Amino acid sequence: MSSGFLYSIGEGLRGLRRAKFSTFVSIFTIFISLAVIGLFVVFIFNVNWIMTQIKSRMELEIFIDNSFTKEQIDTLRSQIEEVAGIESVRYVSKEEAAEVFRNEVGRDIFEILDDNPLPPSFQVKLRPEVQTSSRAENISDQLANFDGVDEVLYRRDILVILERYFRLFLIISLGIGLVLAIGSIFLIYNTIKLIILSRRSVIEIMKLVGATRRFIRRPFIVEGVIQGIVGGTLAALFFSLLFQILKTEIPELIVVTQAVYPILIILGALLGLIGSMFALRKFLKY
Amino acid sequence: MIQLSNVTAKYPGGEGIELVSLTVEPGEFVYLVGPSGAGKSSVLKVIYRDIIPQSGHVVVGGFNSLTFKKKQIPYLRRKLGIIFQDFKLLMDRNVFENVAFTLRVTHTRGVEIKRKVLRVLADVGLSHKRLKMPYQLSGGEQQRVAIARALVNEPIVLLADEPTGNLDPEAAEEIMQLIEKINSKGTAILMATHDFRLVRAQRRKVIKIEKGMTRS
Ligand SMILES: Nc1ncnc2c1ncn2[C@@H]1O[C@H](COP(=O)(O)OP(=O)(O)OP(=O)(O)O)[C@@H](O)[C@H]1O
Ligand SMILES: [Mg+2]
Repeated sequence: MSSGFLYSIGEGLRGLRRAKFSTFVSIFTIFISLAVIGLFVVFIFNVNWIMTQIKSRMELEIFIDNSFTKEQIDTLRSQIEEVAGIESVRYVSKEEAAEVFRNEVGRDIFEILDDNPLPPSFQVKLRPEVQTSSRAENISDQLANFDGVDEVLYRRDILVILERYFRLFLIISLGIGLVLAIGSIFLIYNTIKLIILSRRSVIEIMKLVGATRRFIRRPFIVEGVIQGIVGGTLAALFFSLLFQILKTEIPELIVVTQAVYPILIILGALLGLIGSMFALRKFLKY
Repeated sequence: MIQLSNVTAKYPGGEGIELVSLTVEPGEFVYLVGPSGAGKSSVLKVIYRDIIPQSGHVVVGGFNSLTFKKKQIPYLRRKLGIIFQDFKLLMDRNVFENVAFTLRVTHTRGVEIKRKVLRVLADVGLSHKRLKMPYQLSGGEQQRVAIARALVNEPIVLLADEPTGNLDPEAAEEIMQLIEKINSKGTAILMATHDFRLVRAQRRKVIKIEKGMTRS
């Protein structure tokens, strides 16, 4: 078993040396593809993080009927607190509202009007899992139906736009990533094809002297996987270098976890495996 | 040990062999003789399962065509030694490695490989050329390497398809003597040839084949 495996690796390397140029091309393609895919992932991670930051600051404002008594307001509060997805509820009294008005507008409301027209309100924070625009809207509709609720406000426009662009970006980068992955697989397929064709006579003799199917195919699988691993390792090196530079330039950047490095290498190996499997299916029927 | 009964195996073009019957007993030397295109190679291919018969019955060293599975092909071929007129050596490795190839493919341990290869190279008289590359050898010597490769796994039979076809008379004679020596040590031989002059010694079985059909 182990001697057979070493043999496969030896044969694999021999084959790659023979198809130097196309080996180089497919390794380079895997490297570029994984680097671009990785960049997308890093970007998506960061944008997503920024979005969560924005969302976590998003609050619903519930304006309460001006004529409501203290007891009625307390009942309303407990009603609101029972709604699923609500994290916290803070009461803002008429006086507080006037205070906020003064801070924001710079003038006292009583200078303009005799009476304080500002209604009391609740500032409601949502749990992270309901911070998508559609679910926030649901909750807002629900709250608007409560007795004594005049109006529910939340800054949904920004959120909707943000989410739409984010989704668009996600779809585009997924598409590009997919195209690059398929391209890599194809180039590996091509390299393995060339190696298979250049080794027809060896394969023929192997069959003749009683090599099993697995034994004949394994070197080619090894070749595909080696290309993938080398490409993936290059991409991993590229990222560790990039992060080191970016970290000093943009300290706020969140670097995707250390797991990216092994993931890139495994992804490369996977692309290699798929590419060589396809080539074997097409050119080494046995 | 080898038994073909009424075997028919046709290529898509309609050529091939039809109702071929023959047997090879242990230690026997059998000639398969017929003109070019008669189907000699095809008979050998049926035996080492390079082509699958459409009808008839093939038994080779315990493998039976009625129950045969594709997965068994490698194990069938490990029981056979096969040589051709074009030698089919690996041009990028030396004599030793060409012979060792059979054993590497069948997961033999390194020490074992060395012992077996050196012994079989001595048998074919090529010990001194074991580090030479195939292109540094004469045709006769290349066929000896091929024979060594075929024998190193101790096959039940040596299938030889026109083994002297590419050789000058002298080299051909030497190869014939070598094959006879191998047979005298107990290995059965099934040799396909169109050259009746190679058929000699009365004791041997001769199977004639023409237009894909055997006649005895
Ligand atoms: N792979 C193939 N596909 C189609 N027809 C084939 C194939 N191989 C052989 N044939 C045909 O089958 C017939 C028998 O061929 P085979 O090679 O068995 O003859 P042979 O007796 O070995 O001839 P030779 O002495 O020239 O080697 C021939 O007519 C040949 O053209
Ligand atoms: Mg022939």
